[in-house]
Amino acid sequence: MQIFGDYKDHADFLTVYVREAHPTDEWQMKSNVKEDVCYIQPKTMDQRLAIANDFVKRFSFPVPFGVDDMSNAVNDLYAAWPERLYIVDEKGQIAYRGGMGPFKYNPKEVRDWLAAKYGEVKHPETKSAAENATKQQPQPVNSSK
Amino acid sequence: MQKHYVCPLESLLRFRFNNSLERFLRTIFMWIGIGIVALAVIVYAALSIMAGSPKDALLMVRYAFPHMRSGNLKVGAPAPDGRLTALNGTDHFQIRQRINGKPLVLIFGSFT
Repeated sequence: MQIFGDYKDHADFLTVYVREAHPTDEWQMKSNVKEDVCYIQPKTMDQRLAIANDFVKRFSFPVPFGVDDMSNAVNDLYAAWPERLYIVDEKGQIAYRGGMGPFKYNPKEVRDWLAAKYGEVKHPETKSAAENATKQQPQPVNSSK
Repeated sequence: MQKHYVCPLESLLRFRFNNSLERFLRTIFMWIGIGIVALAVIVYAALSIMAGSPKDALLMVRYAFPHMRSGNLKVGAPAPDGRLTALNGTDHFQIRQRINGKPLVLIFGSFT
């Protein structure tokens, strides 16, 4: 989300909704119950679209959205399930291929790729945190005084 | 009739060989069995740690593994095109339509 905010003027973003990873009728996670994210694995396109719309509404998700069809064609092309990141360059070639989520899902790599191309975007909170950390560090003692 | 003569020493050696071979094979099979069980326990324990619990490990094997693909797309290869449906359910578009002179970041995922 923050990456989108930082680089949306330089790059286009597209979220692709693929089949559910932890639906109630398959491998449901306790964290999903806790957060009230409980859905069955969609069997129809309408069910899949309903979940995608719930997601966008719940998080006021600003990133453009597309939904894979029930044949999971796009998911199969990109080996995307359960989550994955790619960057396609201006020529339509794969410029970055992220690892398979959740263990190798690393948005920082996308940020680094964009930062290398368009420059790093710094955030005030990050800066102040860094300043605080510097302030807390022991200052070197000048022995000449 | 000609009587078949068996040397007592040969008979003794054959008995000992058969007996020791049987014991040898029995030991080999026992250790292979122990190895397989131990390996299964180690793999299951590792999966349980990875998934969060023994039950989750079973569910992961049942529901997640069949869908996990590392894929064969390489950096530099043409990005595959595919048809997606817009959130309104009626409009459709191709992924390549979204490449308009800028890099396109593709975020694949689901709600759960």
